[in-house]
Amino acid sequence: MTDKANPAQQIGRRKFLQTTAAGAGTLALGSLFGPLPAQAKNPELNMWWWGEQELPGLQAYINESVAKYTAATVKPMLQETAVVISQFQTAAAAGTPPDLQYLWNGIYHMESVWLGYLKPLNGLMSEDTLRASNPTILSNYGGNTYRAGWYPLPMVWYYNKDMFDKAGLNADTPPTTWPELLDACEKLKIAGFEPLGGGVQDGYWAEWYMSHAFVQSLDTVGEAVELFIGDKDFNDPRYHECWVRLEELRKLGYLNKDMPSLELYPGIDLVVAGKLGIGQSVGSRLPADSKATNGRIGSMVMPVFGKGKLAGKPIVDMQGLGISEKSANPEAAAAFLEYLNTPERLEAFYKATGWLPSSSRFNSDLIQDASVKNMWKAWGQSPNITNVTSLMPGQFYEQAAIPTGQQVVQGKLTGEQAGELAARVAKEWREFNPDLVEKYQKWVIDLSK
Amino acid sequence: MTSSNKLTPYIYLAPMLALLAFVFGFSFIRVFEFSFKMVRGIDGPWIGLRNYQLVLSQPLFWESVKHNLLLLLAIPAMVGIALLLSLLLYDRLRGWKIYRTILFFPYILAIPIIAVVMKQMFQFSGPVNEVLRWLSLDFMTLDWIGSTDVALWTVMLLIIWRESALGVILFLSRLLSLDEALIEAARLDGANWWQRAWYVLIPQMRSVIEFYVVISVITMLSAVFAYVYMMGGGRGGPGTSTMVTELYIYNALTRTSLPGVASAVAVMLFVVSLMLTYVLFVVRRRADEEEA
Repeated sequence: MTDKANPAQQIGRRKFLQTTAAGAGTLALGSLFGPLPAQAKNPELNMWWWGEQELPGLQAYINESVAKYTAATVKPMLQETAVVISQFQTAAAAGTPPDLQYLWNGIYHMESVWLGYLKPLNGLMSEDTLRASNPTILSNYGGNTYRAGWYPLPMVWYYNKDMFDKAGLNADTPPTTWPELLDACEKLKIAGFEPLGGGVQDGYWAEWYMSHAFVQSLDTVGEAVELFIGDKDFNDPRYHECWVRLEELRKLGYLNKDMPSLELYPGIDLVVAGKLGIGQSVGSRLPADSKATNGRIGSMVMPVFGKGKLAGKPIVDMQGLGISEKSANPEAAAAFLEYLNTPERLEAFYKATGWLPSSSRFNSDLIQDASVKNMWKAWGQSPNITNVTSLMPGQFYEQAAIPTGQQVVQGKLTGEQAGELAARVAKEWREFNPDLVEKYQKWVIDLSK
Repeated sequence: MTSSNKLTPYIYLAPMLALLAFVFGFSFIRVFEFSFKMVRGIDGPWIGLRNYQLVLSQPLFWESVKHNLLLLLAIPAMVGIALLLSLLLYDRLRGWKIYRTILFFPYILAIPIIAVVMKQMFQFSGPVNEVLRWLSLDFMTLDWIGSTDVALWTVMLLIIWRESALGVILFLSRLLSLDEALIEAARLDGANWWQRAWYVLIPQMRSVIEFYVVISVITMLSAVFAYVYMMGGGRGGPGTSTMVTELYIYNALTRTSLPGVASAVAVMLFVVSLMLTYVLFVVRRRADEEEA
C-alpha cells in the first residue's frame, strides 16, 4: 500500500498527539457546555432487513438506496433467516432495537405489535404512500397499520403449457373449477404424465396448499381466526373440505409418486422441467422459470371447489418494513420508507432484483416478460386476498397445517381425520396460549373488515 | 491425606468451574426460571407448574419421547457392528490401518453433510431405490424419507452407520491395549476365531462396551437433533414421525413462541441426562478399578 493510498500514515506522531489532545479538550469542554445542537448532525438510522436470501439483488438495491439517501445516515444489516424475529424481539426488549425492521406478514410481526415493539405507521408515513405500499389487512391491529409493504409474493399455481398441449388441453385457458381440474388431471394422466403435486417433505407445500384451498371455505380472513380461537370448529365439514379434496386427488392417482420424499423447490422444478403438469409456486420465481421455458409456464388461481366468498381470488402475500417503538428517530425512519416508495426507487428495485416492488406506484409498463406482466395484472392489479396461513399461530402451523397435508398426501390421514387433528391442535394452542387468544379475539375485528 | 491435600484438586478445578459458571450459569438458572413462567419476549408472569402440566398432557410430547426411546433400539446394532468390525481389524488383516481410517471416516464428517447426501440417496426416485429396482428387488423399494412408517427407521440407519464408527475406535483401542499373551495362549490351545473372541477378548472389553452403551443412550435421548432436523425436513416429519424431544424444544422456542414450554422440556431432559451421566461415571469408575 502506498502512502498516498493511506493518508493516516502521513500523519506524524507529534501531529497525531496534538490532534488527540485537541479532540480530548473539545470533548471535555463539550461535556461542560452540553451537546452540540442536534440539527448539526444527520440522523442515524439502523435498518435490519432480510430478503437477499429469497430475492438476490436486494442487497445491491439497499446499498445503492442507502448511498443515495442524504437526509439520514442509514446503516443496513442483513439478518440470518432463523433469527429475523428473535433478534429483533430480543433487541427491542433490551431497549436497543433497530429503527427500521424487516417484517414478515401477519402473525410473524403481530406478536411484536402485541409486545409493544412496533410503532403504528399511520401518522408517521403519509396515508397515500402507506396505502399504495399494499401492507395487507394482516398488518392492521386496533385500527392501526404497523407495516409498509415492500415486495409481493403472489401465490400461484403453475402449469406447463407444453404438457397441456400434448395432453390435448387448451394451454391458454387453464382449469378454473374443480371438475375442470379433475378433467385436466385425467387427460394429463392418460397422456402419460404425472398430473399434479410437487414436494411435501419439508412441509411448505402443505402450507401453500392451505393458503390456496382452506381459504376457499371462508367468507372473510377473520373467519380463519375464529377457528383458532374456538368460535368455529375444524370438525365442521366446511372447514376441512380442503383436505378432503386433497385426499380425492391422491385417491384418483393424480399426485406425483415421489411427492412425499421431495422438498418444495425440487417439486416446483418438476413442472418447469416438463415432468409434472400442475404444481404450486410463488410469483417471484416466474421471471426465471418463464425465461428458462421460453414462456411455457402458465400461472393460474387454484380451481374453485369452495363456496366461501374468498374462493377463486388470487392470493398475494407481502413482505414489509416497520419502525421500532423505541426508535430515536421515528420521523426520519418514516421519511426513509417514503423515499423507498418514490417511483425512482421502485424502478431501481425492479432493475436490481428483476422482481416487482409492492407499491401500486410502480410503473408496471417496465415489466418485459409477458408471463410476468400477465401474472402481475391478474394478481397484483386485480382484487386479491392475503395469505391466510400468515395469521396462523405458530403452534397450529407446525403441528396441524403441515403434518395434515403431509399425511393426507401419503394416505395416512383422511380429510376428515385431518380436520380432527386440526381441531385438536387448535384446542391445544388455546390451552397453551390463553393470553394470545385474547389478542386474536381483538385482531378478528381488524381482519373481518 | 492432610486437609490441604484434600483441597488441592478443588483448587485446580476452581478456575474451570468459575468459567463454566460464567458461561452457562446464568442461562442455566434462566431456563429453570422460565420453565415456571409464561414467557413472552424475554420474560413473563409466574405460572407455577402449568408448563409442565401442558407438556405432559400433550400427545406430541409423548410421541417425541416414544421416538427417542425407539432410537434406543439402534444401540444393540451399533454395539454388534462395532464389535465385529473392531475384532476383524484386530486380526490385522492386510491393510487394516486403511480400513480403520475408512470406518472412522463417517464420524469425522459433519452430520448435516452426511444427512443431505443420505436424503438424496433415500428419495423415492433416488439411487437406493433405483439400485433395488435394477436388482429386481422392487418389493424392497420404500419411501424411505417420505413415509411416516419408515422415516424414523431410515434416520436410525443413518445413526447406526455414523455412530458405530465411534464404537469401532473405542473397541479397537481397548483391544490393542490387551495382553497378547492371553490370545496367543488361547490360539495354542486350539481356540478358533469365534472362541477367542467370545471367551477371551469380549470379556476383557466389558468396561469399554458399557461405556459405549451409556454414551449411546445419552446420544439417543438427547443428541440426535441434527439427524432428525436434516432428515425430517427440519420439522420432524413427515407428519410428526421423526419428532424427538430436542426438536420439540427447538420448535417450542423458535417456531411456536413458547420459551416457557421449551424450558420445561429442557429441564426434564436435563434431569434425565444428569441421571444417565451419573450412570456413566459409575461405569467409568468401575472400568478404572478393573484396569487398575
